[in-house]
Amino acid sequence: MNDPQVYLRKLSAFSRQLAREGLAVGPAETADAARVLILVGLEDRERVKTALCTVYAKSREEQLVFGKCFDGFFLSREAMEAQAKARLEERQALERRRREAEELLNLNGKPLDLTEQQRRAYASMPDEARQRLTGFLDKYRQTAERNPKLYGEFIHSVFTRAILEQQMLLEDAGLGGEAADPDIGLMYRDISQFKDTEIPRAVAILQTVARQVNASLSARRRAQAHTGKLDFRRTIRLGLETGGSFHRLRYRRKRGRKKHLVILCDVSGSMMQFSEFALRFIQSLNQASDSSRVFLFSETVVEADPFRLENMDLFRDYVRQSGVYGRGTDLGAALTHLCASRPPVLGQSTTLLILSDSKTIDQNRAVQALLEAQRQAGRVIWLNPIPQRKWQYLRSVQTMAAVCAMAPCATLQELTAALSGRPFGLL
Amino acid sequence: MTLEELKEKMDEAHYVYDETLATVLYVALALGRPLLIEGAAGVGKTEVAKVMAAALDRDLVRLQCYEGLDESKALYEWNYQKQLLAIQISREAGSEAQTRQLFSDEYLLERPLLRSIRSEKPVVLLIDEIDKADEEFEAFLLELLSEMQVTIPEIGTVKARSIPLVVLTSNRARPLSEALRRRCAYLYIDYPSLDKELAILRGKLPHVDDRLCVQVATAVQKLRSSQTILKKPSIAETLDWAAALEALGIRELTPDVLVKTGGFLLKNNEDLAALARQEPDGHCGRCGQ
Repeated sequence: MNDPQVYLRKLSAFSRQLAREGLAVGPAETADAARVLILVGLEDRERVKTALCTVYAKSREEQLVFGKCFDGFFLSREAMEAQAKARLEERQALERRRREAEELLNLNGKPLDLTEQQRRAYASMPDEARQRLTGFLDKYRQTAERNPKLYGEFIHSVFTRAILEQQMLLEDAGLGGEAADPDIGLMYRDISQFKDTEIPRAVAILQTVARQVNASLSARRRAQAHTGKLDFRRTIRLGLETGGSFHRLRYRRKRGRKKHLVILCDVSGSMMQFSEFALRFIQSLNQASDSSRVFLFSETVVEADPFRLENMDLFRDYVRQSGVYGRGTDLGAALTHLCASRPPVLGQSTTLLILSDSKTIDQNRAVQALLEAQRQAGRVIWLNPIPQRKWQYLRSVQTMAAVCAMAPCATLQELTAALSGRPFGLL
Repeated sequence: MTLEELKEKMDEAHYVYDETLATVLYVALALGRPLLIEGAAGVGKTEVAKVMAAALDRDLVRLQCYEGLDESKALYEWNYQKQLLAIQISREAGSEAQTRQLFSDEYLLERPLLRSIRSEKPVVLLIDEIDKADEEFEAFLLELLSEMQVTIPEIGTVKARSIPLVVLTSNRARPLSEALRRRCAYLYIDYPSLDKELAILRGKLPHVDDRLCVQVATAVQKLRSSQTILKKPSIAETLDWAAALEALGIRELTPDVLVKTGGFLLKNNEDLAALARQEPDGHCGRCGQ
């Protein structure tokens, strides 16, 4: 090494980059990394990568982040040149598209009334999407002469949809991770998009995660189990082992106060896969609640037989037999049924979990019923399988989210976070 | 010790390793950091500690973690019975009897953690399945892992006489705390590749026919890549299976043999049923040749 300062500066910059990516990197890690570099040398790139990974990454997930950061930060000369060339070409292509957009997006010589975000989105769209959008604009151009206002609104809706479609491509964001670690990839994929062949693996992952959450809830409960009052009987019994000297004290345990769960589960066609996973997960969380009751609903509502739910592999058959499958969704009727049930289903020690995408008939009635359910239950949490980035486009979601706590649960990772973390966690 | 020297020592211990594993072990040793190893059950996490003990010619001190493990089982405990007897004797003999210092080494029962840091010769300390211990125990370990010392209220701080190589293993049954992770070098062990598994089979079971080893390794690789098998077979199970086939006098791995002896590899009913449902040559190692 000619000038160690150069390497140290680069290492420090690399540490900052890793910290920005969410790794817990501090001066101690950077110092260790510097020592490691001196030990292993810089001749073998893979060896340097492994050695630094040992110091910086402290979990499987962090290893994946580290790998990407390292490959992006420490480039070979050829890779750097290729990257610079690619960036230049990309910039030129973007500029060309912007110019094309200026020419194309006009009506009778006047530029269309589009926001800067819409213009930028048009320029950065893939060719296929751009052609489709231009085709739309041309097809309905005659309308512009008859009713310019209507045409303007139409253009805005077409652009909104095109941008939304681009955003939806992000649903496959987990695929990159899947190549490196299939389990991590599956955690970040949309549950409703799982293929049949992937479901057994997803179930196995869910069971592992449930075991982890249970263990951590159990440990947390044990840690809080101490009341501070002496348990004389156990202390005396223990003291007998040492001739009646009470040097090891035992305290009374706190009584666990688990919650009662009422799960209202939408089993309309589009919700089936999500409901199956969510229910399976909630049922596995035996540390989260004392008791649970499950209600399945579409247009009507039925209480699920707990013994039948124990075998989740037969969930779909069971739902079909129950007669609620394949109908429309009426959340208002389901909630009204719950609120009016006698003996009461909801109470102050009850947490009501609603698993639904919020698409329902008679939304006003559903909102009124939700308000009543919230008054009766101690807590209402809505688990919504629609990705959070789409919420802003859906009025029904916005309305329901304004009334009760709503957590996004499109992926297994979000589902785990929603049920075990704050602020929605069951504990 | 250089990396090459470490590799030589692992070769001498007949341990099959790849470049990544060797580099990580070298870094952990060189920095004097505890090594946290994660991975599925049966991929050889515990074996790393055993091999390092053999390669470095050190004693292996093992602490098996479980729910409810506390410092009296892991670090130290006073020998209460002996202390009570001593008090009794001193009372009966009056001033003539020498009252011993009750909180001294004589009454101290060393547990694995204390034994490992008070050893004159450095040892390899294996803290196995740390994910099974409680979070409190994890917090208790922090002082030992970062400062190589422990505090005993009656005695004070006990500093390490020799620095042990600490190896922690976890099956990821629960997430470990950030504080613990930060103090360790990290290694994730995945299931081995075909070549590595074959090398392990040849190394551990030299008497087994090489052709059968290839078939076994190929079949296990296929089972692991199958979506329908939930609990993937581990290396230990591969070794058991190969040894069982050898003991049964089987020279050729056929689909029928695979289904009949599948219990050595797959340990739950659903997986065995899935294996039986597969097409005849589905997982059989022969088709991989």
